[in-house]
Amino acid sequence: MILAGLFTSSIELSGHGRLALVLPICLAIAVVYKTIRCDDVRDVPKAAFPLWVTIVLGMYAIGLALWGVFSLMV
Amino acid sequence: MISVLDVPAAGLLSWVLPGLGHIYVGERVRGWILLVTMTLTYWTGVAVGGVRGTVDIKGHTGWFMAQICSGGHTGAALALRWAAGPGEGETPAAPPNVQPRRGESPPTFYGHFASIDIGIVYTAVAGLLNVLIILDAIVRADHASRDAEPRPAYAAGGGRGA
Repeated sequence: MILAGLFTSSIELSGHGRLALVLPICLAIAVVYKTIRCDDVRDVPKAAFPLWVTIVLGMYAIGLALWGVFSLMV
Repeated sequence: MISVLDVPAAGLLSWVLPGLGHIYVGERVRGWILLVTMTLTYWTGVAVGGVRGTVDIKGHTGWFMAQICSGGHTGAALALRWAAGPGEGETPAAPPNVQPRRGESPPTFYGHFASIDIGIVYTAVAGLLNVLIILDAIVRADHASRDAEPRPAYAAGGGRGA
């Protein structure tokens, strides 16, 4: 019942919380992709970490660029 | 030993629970990595957005199409949503710029709208990643079934031209 209560209501997030939630989803994408691609499962952590960093930096760069465009327009 | 009939079974098991198809094919470690990763991703999304706002067939039909690609998790989330009820009396937090149109009743919000958006993205991405996992399980099951088949006599000698 307590466990079900954890999933029924949304949680309130701050701006920093929203930015931080990019990290786990990018990690999930990197791990799943590399788990499928790597022939040897032992190579997954070594291969997934650089991909995770690349995705996170790319997402933040896109976000920063869009924020810059938005700031110029408004 | 994997037979030809097990190929769709591997895909179906992956749809029910991501990674289960890989475990079925014999790729246990790979299957467990996928199962844990996908379960954590999906239910993190539900925990952030709340099940009422995140898994919503009528409100977010397009996103639901992505979520349903992870069949078992979405089925469990729908069951939880049904068990939790409509959520009346909760703290609705409407987006600041949303106003009901004239003659319309105000929309019901089940939680913080930004959190719901993030929850929807988490669960939908988990569903779409599961499409990759289903395809991978099918391919691996197919390869395993081909390896298990007895090879024709001419193929054993290096092909017809040899």
